[in-house]
Amino acid sequence: MGEFNVWTSLPAVAPEIGLTILAAVVLLLDAYLPKEKNRARNIAFVSAVSMAVLALTPFIWAPAPNTSELFWGGMVRHDALGQLFDVMILLAGAITVMIAVDDSGVGRRGEFHLIVIIVTLGGCILSSSADLVMIFVALETVSIPLYVLAAFRREDNKSSESGLKYFLFGSFASAILLYGFSFLYGLTGSTQLTAIAAGLNSEIVSGNLVAVLAALLMVIVGFGFKISAVPFHFWTPDVYEGAPTPVTAFVSVASKAGSFAVFMRFLIEAFGLPAVSADATSTLVVIDGQTIQTFWVNLLTVFSILSMTVGNVLALRQKNFKRLLAYSSIAQAGYTLMGLAALQAQSAIGQDIAMASITFYMFMYTFTNLVIFAGIILFVEATGRENIADFAGLQRRSPWLALAMTIGLLSLAGIPPAAGFFGKLFLFQAAVEANLVGLAMIGVLNAIVALYYYLIIIKIMYVDQGIDEDKPLAMPRSYAWVLGITSVVIIILGVIPTPIFDLAQQGAAAVRLAMGS
Amino acid sequence: MMVDFNSVDFLPWLVPVGPLLAFLIISLATNRAKPEPASSLVYGGFRPPYGDLGVPVATSWSRILSITVGISGVVMSLLVSWRLVFTATATKDFGEVVFGSSVDWLSLGSLPAFQMGVLVDPLNSAMLFMVPLAVLCIFIYSIGYMAHDPRQSRFFALISLFAGAMLTLVVADNLLLLFVGWEVMGLCSYLLIGFWYEKDTAYKAAIKAFTTTRVADVLMLLGIAYLYAETGTLSFREILYNPAVLEALAGKEALLFGGFGLSAAGLIGIFLVIGTIGKSAQFPLHLWLPDAMQGPTPVSAMIHAAAMVSAGIYAILRMYPVFAAGGDPHHGIFTAPLLLMAVVGAFTALFAATMAVAQNDVKAVLAYSTISQLGFMMAALGIGAYIAAAFHLITHAFFKALLFMASGSVIHAMEHGEHHAHEHHAPAHGIGGGADPHDAHSHDAHAEHGHDAHHDAHDSHAFDPQDMRNMGGLDKKIPVTYWTFLAGGLSLAGFPLITAGFWSKDEILADAWLGTTEGFGPHALVFVMLAVAAFMTAFYTMRQIGLTFKGEARTEPAQHAGLGGQYDIISQTMQLPLIILTPFALFAGFVGVPKDFPIFGSIFASEHNPFKYFVIESLHPVLHFEAPAFNWFPVLVSFAVALGGIYLGYRMYWVKPLKAGEEDPMIKILGGDLYTTLQRRYYMDELYVLLFVQPSQWISRQVNEFVDKGIIDSVLHGIARFFTWVGDLTKVLNAWLIDGVGDGIPRWIFQAGGWLRGAQTGKVQQYLLVVLIAAVVIGVIFALTAGAVTAQ
Repeated sequence: MGEFNVWTSLPAVAPEIGLTILAAVVLLLDAYLPKEKNRARNIAFVSAVSMAVLALTPFIWAPAPNTSELFWGGMVRHDALGQLFDVMILLAGAITVMIAVDDSGVGRRGEFHLIVIIVTLGGCILSSSADLVMIFVALETVSIPLYVLAAFRREDNKSSESGLKYFLFGSFASAILLYGFSFLYGLTGSTQLTAIAAGLNSEIVSGNLVAVLAALLMVIVGFGFKISAVPFHFWTPDVYEGAPTPVTAFVSVASKAGSFAVFMRFLIEAFGLPAVSADATSTLVVIDGQTIQTFWVNLLTVFSILSMTVGNVLALRQKNFKRLLAYSSIAQAGYTLMGLAALQAQSAIGQDIAMASITFYMFMYTFTNLVIFAGIILFVEATGRENIADFAGLQRRSPWLALAMTIGLLSLAGIPPAAGFFGKLFLFQAAVEANLVGLAMIGVLNAIVALYYYLIIIKIMYVDQGIDEDKPLAMPRSYAWVLGITSVVIIILGVIPTPIFDLAQQGAAAVRLAMGS
Repeated sequence: MMVDFNSVDFLPWLVPVGPLLAFLIISLATNRAKPEPASSLVYGGFRPPYGDLGVPVATSWSRILSITVGISGVVMSLLVSWRLVFTATATKDFGEVVFGSSVDWLSLGSLPAFQMGVLVDPLNSAMLFMVPLAVLCIFIYSIGYMAHDPRQSRFFALISLFAGAMLTLVVADNLLLLFVGWEVMGLCSYLLIGFWYEKDTAYKAAIKAFTTTRVADVLMLLGIAYLYAETGTLSFREILYNPAVLEALAGKEALLFGGFGLSAAGLIGIFLVIGTIGKSAQFPLHLWLPDAMQGPTPVSAMIHAAAMVSAGIYAILRMYPVFAAGGDPHHGIFTAPLLLMAVVGAFTALFAATMAVAQNDVKAVLAYSTISQLGFMMAALGIGAYIAAAFHLITHAFFKALLFMASGSVIHAMEHGEHHAHEHHAPAHGIGGGADPHDAHSHDAHAEHGHDAHHDAHDSHAFDPQDMRNMGGLDKKIPVTYWTFLAGGLSLAGFPLITAGFWSKDEILADAWLGTTEGFGPHALVFVMLAVAAFMTAFYTMRQIGLTFKGEARTEPAQHAGLGGQYDIISQTMQLPLIILTPFALFAGFVGVPKDFPIFGSIFASEHNPFKYFVIESLHPVLHFEAPAFNWFPVLVSFAVALGGIYLGYRMYWVKPLKAGEEDPMIKILGGDLYTTLQRRYYMDELYVLLFVQPSQWISRQVNEFVDKGIIDSVLHGIARFFTWVGDLTKVLNAWLIDGVGDGIPRWIFQAGGWLRGAQTGKVQQYLLVVLIAAVVIGVIFALTAGAVTAQ
């Protein structure tokens, strides 16, 4: 770690610093801006543009290539993977603010945007934390404002209920997670992840296999809640349906991306990777002759299969669009878990692809999900209905909206030229590189099941006759921009995935090398 | 890859961009068409019979926009392509040196990244010369042809996509990108053949074309996958310009049928050839192509000349070294795919020519002639006449595009005439009923020759503007069309020395004869069959021109036929492309004159055959071969078959042109049965319905009966029954409880209802409980596995 130097350490938290300043500015604006009609809208634009600009900072103060250094007393890592996750979370924040602008319940109140900024801040810290304390603080910085956001529409019972449910479930999961953390600290006397790995590998822990496994289990339960993996998914449909739609959008991408980032880091840094060649050292934690990795990869494989299957099967029967997306997001978490299970690969390329595929998947998922949610917000705001059947004939009412949503749905279904195709391809490839061909096959089968309910929506929008077909939907300019840009990004990622994926792969290689594997 | 608009290595990327952008712009910008009830005002009385349907009618600004954008896109492609072609012809050792660049498109884990790129080499320079020119002509022609169509902007969007896909396929530097273009074209052909989807025959034809080519494409994809698995790359240069790779492929035993001595290259080749058989409509997958006439005529020109079917032959030319790997047709060593091509090609060439002889639809004759000419190319490739096939591909594209557009112009003129005739004689027509002789005639014809699906569409009209028996004497009505049609027809017939078709066909025959003299069976087969087919080609072309243009008008519409005024935009845009293409149809052949051909050789090929000299460099030097030395025999045969066919047709249809009400002399010569058999395509449609369509329908019905209704429904019913049973049970229990326990219970139920209503929070506890149980179960499993292993 060397001597502490504040100037070399600052770039590691550049976006976080920017977000903190932005939060203060927005707070001031909200307090002192005169009460006029466009007040909240102006605040929203300031927040969105600033966050979009901040999304450039990870590139301006980029980490040194092929390194994954620790900064701030071993609290955070600065590497390309964290950089990519920062970018996607910041963009998710910016887009969420933009698509919330015209939502009558939330966007027209200034503090909404402030809270989104704080969640974004938490997400950015989360994606690069390297210490148990940091992880927990970041996780709570993400969660607590989200509880508030879910219950943001105080006058609406469904929103309050969803906020309360989210809170109850979240605090329960946090408690379990924290309990697991305390075990790890107790066993190793350290909170820094790599130090924990070293501690677990030393003599002190021998004979305490069960305790380590209990800690591992509790950590997985905690993160499983965050990424809504089956069987910790129960909150998802209720919260997704009840919360204001912009909040649902944000929960489905930012919180999930940050959690996946930290989950991946935690597993790699605290429990290690297999050696990739004869001269590389394996960083795996071995206690009483047992490799801990075997336990969590097997468990995550099971969770992956369960999440994919349960999510897709339940999604088939949904009538409410937001509930459908809830189950779809459970299924998507299942696919992504495949990448975590693939960390057991014995080759350097296999491990890199596993990490990179998770990153790429989350990257494309951020845009994909947001474009669909933007469409739903626009539609619900205009019609007040959110059942899938209500979208009938949307193509005649607003062809551009229907086109954007089609691109989003095709991406979720994994059909080229949308980005989702490569997202799935890379994950399946990672699974195959790790000799998990069976898992990849289950993933492919699930993708076929999912195709059905995604394509049905497209069919409803384009073919079915709606009752209000002659009433065109107005498209505010801010939404037109957001929908246009996100759709184009989805297509670009789907045609030329290589730049982002290569960056992710370099980041992954840096993490792997930093582990010494 | 560097973005540099002056670099010939970057420019190929831009070739397909114009039409693809045009597709995007047209389809995104002109979506505001308003549905209007169809009226004759909207269509100007022209095709198609939309009936009383409401059709979204393109507004005039969207018409203008789609035409402008569409044409600009193609012009951009044309300029970029020709710049590349002319730079290429001026480049020394072009072939060793190629233009192109590629990017890392897809990282593939432990394999090297997949490179996506573009390439211009001698072979596709020839294509890049021909395709954009033909496409531009077709676009200009479409302005007039589709001027009255309510969905004109949709047409321009689709045809732009079609052109973009074709150009993508041409500039692709790997088989995957080629396949992408191939499939997009398949989609476009489906959409365009079924463009007038209100017509029953049109949408059936579209489905037929799509499913037939799909069958072939799946096999082709298998071939591509196998090639990739064997070599780890799909790049043309890496595979085809690399004798080591080819040798390895030829030496390896194939995955399937390896026991029969088939090499990996052979199996890959067979798969790819099957793909081409589908795309280029060769026997036995040729049936979709005549039906594809249901699309608007510019589409037929696109499919038959510039794009779709040429793509099939182009793919084979492109991959030729794989087919030839391990064999050498010039020395009588044939590989399995080569033999397949020679046999299928020669057979198709003759087989389709016989059917073309008996067709009465002006476009159907051309459709069968396309199949037949593609057979020529396939056969030529099968016997190793690589250059001759490439040459014929280019010349054929020119004269066939010309012929299709000219025949479209004929049809248009006939429709115009019919419209005109109706305006004058509508009352008389209505009262007089069968007063028109042609009406009776065409019904008789239908009764006599059976029910031809192809003529179905026009039954409602009772008048078929495409039926050549209804024409006659058009040479005076539409002279520009007549002379250009004649030029194209003579080229197709191979009229000696002055037409392009002669030179390319002659070269195929010369190659085949050379092999025959050395005693190679396939060469002899190809030579004989192609010579006969060439004779028939000349004959049916003359028959077609005679029936259409010569003699007196046989019907009233033919009397009034015309393309509108001389200064009419429709007549101008429809005639201009014909005039542009005519010189190419006649004189394009001079670039491929053999060096030692008497007189002509010394004029056009003083040093070497320019086309051959240029294109042969597409192959690795190891595969270069010598052109056959000049030999009088095949040239005389070419002369004889072309002139003989032309003379016979001239005698039968020009000297004594068909009169109104007269029967085609063919029927007397061939006899009614044979004639009908030919006209009905040897009953292959019926055979396929019997062999494939009916069984698959039967299977679908069975699946519906047993799986859907039997199994799935009975399961669902079972579940429903179970719940009904539970419901009944609850009812009984309820009744019992209420009856038995009395008034206390209702209060309890009421309270329970209240408790349930507030149970949303209770549910969270339930959720959490499930989580806890899951955690405990996992924990126990962990502990047990850990314990079990430790205990050992």
